[in-house]
Amino acid sequence: MNIICTPAGIVGRENPRQGVMDIAAAGFGDILLDLSLYCTCTELENIGKENLNKEKDSLLKISEHPEKMHEIIQPLLAQCKKNGIAMSVAYAPYLMRNTKHINTHEIMTQLSEKSIHTAAQSGCKYIVIRPLFAGIPEKDLWEVNREYYLKLADMAKENDIVILLENQCKDKNGHLIRGVCSNAQEVAAWVDALNKETGDERFGFCLDVGVCSICGQNMYDFILTIGDRLKAVILRDGDGSHESALLPFTCAAQGRSQTDWLNLVRGLRETFFDGQLILNIKDTATAFSPILRPGLLTMAKTVADYFKWQIGMEQVLREYPSRVLFGAGNMCRNYMKCYGEKYPPRYTCDNNRALWGEDFCGLEVRNPECLKDLDKDCAVIICNVYYKEIEAQLRQMNIENPIEYFNDEYMPSFYFDRIKRDAWNGGEG
Amino acid sequence: MKIGVQTQNIVDDTNPSAGFQTLSDIGFSCADFSLNSYLKNTSIYASDLNNFFSQPVSALEHFFAPHKLTATKAGITVNQMHMPYPIYVPKGCSRINEYLQKEVAPKSMEICHYFDCPFIVVHGLKLAYYLGTEQAEWEQTEQFIDTIAPMAKEMNITICIENLYDSVAGHLVEGPCCDAHKAVERIDRINEKYHAEVLGFCFDTGHANLAGIDFEQFITTLGYRLKVLHIHDNDGIDDLHQIPFTFTRTRENKSSTDWDGFIQGLRNIHFDRTLSFETAPVLNAFPGQLKQDALSLILKIGKYFSGAVCMGEGI
Repeated sequence: MNIICTPAGIVGRENPRQGVMDIAAAGFGDILLDLSLYCTCTELENIGKENLNKEKDSLLKISEHPEKMHEIIQPLLAQCKKNGIAMSVAYAPYLMRNTKHINTHEIMTQLSEKSIHTAAQSGCKYIVIRPLFAGIPEKDLWEVNREYYLKLADMAKENDIVILLENQCKDKNGHLIRGVCSNAQEVAAWVDALNKETGDERFGFCLDVGVCSICGQNMYDFILTIGDRLKAVILRDGDGSHESALLPFTCAAQGRSQTDWLNLVRGLRETFFDGQLILNIKDTATAFSPILRPGLLTMAKTVADYFKWQIGMEQVLREYPSRVLFGAGNMCRNYMKCYGEKYPPRYTCDNNRALWGEDFCGLEVRNPECLKDLDKDCAVIICNVYYKEIEAQLRQMNIENPIEYFNDEYMPSFYFDRIKRDAWNGGEG
Repeated sequence: MKIGVQTQNIVDDTNPSAGFQTLSDIGFSCADFSLNSYLKNTSIYASDLNNFFSQPVSALEHFFAPHKLTATKAGITVNQMHMPYPIYVPKGCSRINEYLQKEVAPKSMEICHYFDCPFIVVHGLKLAYYLGTEQAEWEQTEQFIDTIAPMAKEMNITICIENLYDSVAGHLVEGPCCDAHKAVERIDRINEKYHAEVLGFCFDTGHANLAGIDFEQFITTLGYRLKVLHIHDNDGIDDLHQIPFTFTRTRENKSSTDWDGFIQGLRNIHFDRTLSFETAPVLNAFPGQLKQDALSLILKIGKYFSGAVCMGEGI
């Protein structure tokens, strides 16, 4: 899984130096080539309108000079190169959800073609191109988009880049509801039909968590239906009503996040998602003082790593030929409920000597000393939140087996109750 | 098309005649009998059950006899009713859940039958968080339906499942029965199993609006399986059960709920049943003096919908 940071709210268009440095310093190794920052939806909305702020608004308009797209991103490319930052995914310019334009096919095609070219030259493997929607009757959406995407497919093939469709919401007089590509079955059919016509896997899908959340959609069902067509996921938090891009877990109410991270993780984990994980924190980053941004980005990277860990949890379990657990509490119980059959542990161990020899969820509870007799390739899966302390305990015991952290915050299913014992007792028995 | 509204906040147990007569005077011909008001969801979640449904069926029939009689006298047809919900509390004790499923549900069916009411709306179980998938959740709902479906067949009642919402820290998202294609498959399969139309669908406009569902597509997919409606409006954020066309989200002040899609969907499937409004909270919002005016407006909106659906007017 490749973690990507979006530059929106962090990297300046004219002077990207500080923003890219902050992103690199936080530990990100990849940045989204967001071409919509260079040709914004506001710019597109104002096409054909007289600009009364000409002097003030002196920025080059890519919508008027698409040929300058590659040139305008040069400062960003230079900074990324300097800081060792890659660009795996690009995002093409798009229209406002409530656009007043109805005939934009030509300009959008032109911009998307330029975007494909620019993205490929910048080293991107994927480009997200939103489906067309403005002024198109519902019944014609597929035919119009089919023609649009197939027109782009040749250029994508020449440039060895994959086009990703993305789920959209539509604006119903200010209320954002499900729009183009928000029906998973339909999306799967679109992607398959496009790939069939191009004869290769030129098309895939990018899931925008923010859109799913606004549309109140069950992301587990969505992801399972899309399956391996899913190549990228955009992580962003919000209140489920307004379009925002906040750092995950920051839009909370009643002590809980308002985005359904549980079903997202459930779906991505079950499908062994290993694609592009794009973190979009535009609004949080913009709201923060630039002075505080380095700290925010460090936190953002930690959050992205956390998602990667949660999503990849089952993948880790299946990588080992055998395993034992450490811990005989709720986490062990949850492991056995959800993964015990698929990835059966040999036994579990616990520092609580009172439990040794007992059966817990079908596992024998043993003295941790038994771990010294393990085969080399047998992993020890820690099922207790005192991960670091337990790992240190095991290493002090000269156990050299692989050690992995299991976690039950996002499980495929849950018990209705919890048992009352879970504390780490420092190896004191 | 007939137009109806909930009995809650209109029909009072001490004098049901007045409530039904009010509905009739305003021009309604149908009522959605609010059986759920006799055991409220807030009480169920608080494990604070009353003994209303503990009464024998004969006592319940006796209790509702004036309601039935006065509704008929006023010319009001009880075309649909709402079973108390939830019918299962995930962390509730077995005594509560047994009471809900073994007492409340079958007795609701008996009362529905007593009123000669052809449709009863039930809520699917909300268990996806624990069970992990919507499918596993549905299996529990189906098990529940199986407990009352034989009664439904015998009594010629169609149980209607409803699109519901769930809450993620107060953010309302899609809940049970929000996938029209799955609903169609399940309804058809169960009806085939019982060789009777024991299961149908209740489309709730407010819940669909909360989950950003495409009204037209959803209704069109359901087709003839759509039996009853819960028509009400909200801001797309909270389940407010207000009068259609009252919510806007921009300074242009156009309705932010897709009523055109609603009309088009009903038109697509040639819907000719009752346009039923689930707008009881409106009657708390307006002052007492304006209650009848509010109901009149609801009726007028119903007539507008009816005209638009039947004659292609309105959109």
